[in-house]
Amino acid sequence: MTLFLKRLFLFIIVVVIIDQLVGFAMRQLYFNQHKGQFAQTTYSVDSANQDIIVFGSSRAVRHYSTTILSKAFGKSCYNVGRDGQMIPYYAALEDVIFNRKKPKLVILDINTWEFFVGSSKYEKLSILLPYCNKHPELIKYVETASPYERYKLYSAIYPFNSSLFIATNNKLFESKIASDENGYDPLNKTMDAATIEYTKKIVEQTKKESKMKQAKTDTLALSFYRQFLQKCVDANIPTYVVISPTIAPEIPNERKNKLLEITKSFPTITFLDYSCDSNYNDHFEKFADIFHLNKQGSEEFTKDLVNRIKL
Amino acid sequence: MIFNSVVFVLFYIIVTALYFILPHKFRWGLLLAASCYFYMAFVPVYILILGFTIVVDYFAGIFIENTIDAKKRKQLLLCSLVANIGVLVFFKYYNFLNTNISILLNNFNARNPLPFLTILLPIGLSFHTFQAMSYTIEVYRGNQKAEKHFGIYSLYVMFYPQLVAGPIERPQNILHQMHENHEFDYANMVDGLKQMLWGFFKKLVVADRLSIYVNSIFDHAEVHNGSSIAIACLFFSAQIYCDFSGYSDIAIGSAKTMGFDLMTNFRRPYFAKSINEFWSRWHISLSTWFRDYLYFPLGGNRVPKLLVYRNFFIVFLISGVWHGANYTFIVWGALHAFFSIIGMIITPFTKDMHLKLHINKRITDVARQLFIVLLVTFAWIFFRATSMENAMTVIHNLKTFGQHPFLGDSVSNFGHCILAIALLFIIEYKKEYLPTKFNFFQHPNIFIRWGSIVSMIVAILIFGVFNGGQFIYFQF
Repeated sequence: MTLFLKRLFLFIIVVVIIDQLVGFAMRQLYFNQHKGQFAQTTYSVDSANQDIIVFGSSRAVRHYSTTILSKAFGKSCYNVGRDGQMIPYYAALEDVIFNRKKPKLVILDINTWEFFVGSSKYEKLSILLPYCNKHPELIKYVETASPYERYKLYSAIYPFNSSLFIATNNKLFESKIASDENGYDPLNKTMDAATIEYTKKIVEQTKKESKMKQAKTDTLALSFYRQFLQKCVDANIPTYVVISPTIAPEIPNERKNKLLEITKSFPTITFLDYSCDSNYNDHFEKFADIFHLNKQGSEEFTKDLVNRIKL
Repeated sequence: MIFNSVVFVLFYIIVTALYFILPHKFRWGLLLAASCYFYMAFVPVYILILGFTIVVDYFAGIFIENTIDAKKRKQLLLCSLVANIGVLVFFKYYNFLNTNISILLNNFNARNPLPFLTILLPIGLSFHTFQAMSYTIEVYRGNQKAEKHFGIYSLYVMFYPQLVAGPIERPQNILHQMHENHEFDYANMVDGLKQMLWGFFKKLVVADRLSIYVNSIFDHAEVHNGSSIAIACLFFSAQIYCDFSGYSDIAIGSAKTMGFDLMTNFRRPYFAKSINEFWSRWHISLSTWFRDYLYFPLGGNRVPKLLVYRNFFIVFLISGVWHGANYTFIVWGALHAFFSIIGMIITPFTKDMHLKLHINKRITDVARQLFIVLLVTFAWIFFRATSMENAMTVIHNLKTFGQHPFLGDSVSNFGHCILAIALLFIIEYKKEYLPTKFNFFQHPNIFIRWGSIVSMIVAILIFGVFNGGQFIYFQF
């Protein structure tokens, strides 16, 4: 047994060294991205300090033109939205950004499906792992997925888990990646006939399914939502919570009622709901896919929004 | 507690360390307590169900051994089997049977008076029930002495590495090992850890990665085209193999580190050249269980051809039912029976195909292997589908094969999937056809040996999915 323990000890040392070396290489690769989602997230976490900050998921990234918002209000603007993310991510980012500088206007793009019960919204916070050493306030958020995340961070590789493909691709083909406009990355395409048919099929299917109505509400997600609004109110920041346009009118559901109820408890916060706006519903020409407006649609929407924001 | 969790890693280290620290006479107690803790991490109260069958089978075994009268012995065996199957039927099949009774009575405008129960299926119920049944059957057959030590017998049923998803052990193989004093053995420890590592690789890098794509397609099969569905089906074949055999590797490896030899459960099944060969390589502990306790008693091969086919059909059908209370599993079993019987019928005509076609045997072998993979993959559709309707949608949409496939929410994930399958194929191919070559894990040169092990750990850290959740077979 002594031989085994000696060798095990030596082996662990080797693993730790290799982990640190490979982790160092991955860190270099990750933090030397100049374009793409990783670069955008790094900027959002480490540097974003503009006057107007847009929070949200991929729908925020595609729907809110920072150029239009900037021009309309004469203030700098950055869109910190991130594909696939939900309310816990916005709350985490809000913490980091507000610790650096309080913005003058906050726009939070929200979707009611973010409040379904499900662990994925917390698991997706793993994209914040590369930043946890520099921003320890993020640890409590990543720990919502697992209480052991703090310990897993002892590995230098683990924070960059599953990022190698994208990071390598973005580094090798950097010139082919379109630059975003301060986080705004519009979709320059329209739906072809086949995509429209496919979309209609999904919309019909969704209407038929009772899943949307029956799904339970995630109370932890609601508490993150409440926390997000509370921080804005505490910092005295004008805040707009927006459900941006959807391709089909949203089916009434319990989650939206809960969101409205929470928002109402903060009288200074405005809730704008475009999910049943006939200017967008069924206007396939304004959408790039089932979830996102295209460039034309997003610019029209941002202009609409500007008219409703009072600063 | 699942194997792919931090809690399990801590649990495993503590239990294994204590196992070698404690004197032999206390070890069974440690393992039993650890197994109880492991099981109770799921639904604590269900330990009572296990307790019930353990008590019944423990006394049944002793009474059977002490009874000379053949009729009484049979009755005692029946009591034990009824108790075990009764628990299984109640927890696993009650609602399914009740639904069918309701449908049947509805046809006669009658109402089903039986209530539906909201019960959670005890984890691994089918596995430990079958293991418990094999004990009383072997005692009845005289192949195994009744275990007098209640603690050891309980451990036989509850041994944590194989408690919830097998391998389904036979008492002849494992019971005596529980009495033996296992001194620390360097080779066992290292080999066991290597096998566990390989199991973790299969689960975290392959199975859980593929499941992201597979779930996205099967959950919305109605809107996906044939190309996406075909890819998802092939991915599922690899996913379920890596998920289940990964579990088995971790189970066998963790037992081995403590000196226990569990039976092999998988031998690269996708290299099989017939359905029957597939079943001699896939979930071997279950296949042999059905062979020994159902197929042979039905007459096995020693009956006229038609009866052999009937026996095959019964065994596969029951194997399907064993997996779950859903028609999808029954169809899955029936399909395997059908493929197997057709295979037996045409074997005389296809046996020496390469000679008839004047081509290299390797070509016909590869063609057979690919064909078997396709057949098995087709049958997996029913296994993976949540309902017959879901399965039919998948099959219906397969017709639109040829359109551009959906690559998932992120192309990077799809890339990971392809890489994972490629790695799996290379390693499995080497094990199947070059068993003595490129054995990097056993290489005499320490740099190559350690280098390969560290590489696998690094690959798990870089490519693994750490929130994949449960093993598929836990639900059975």
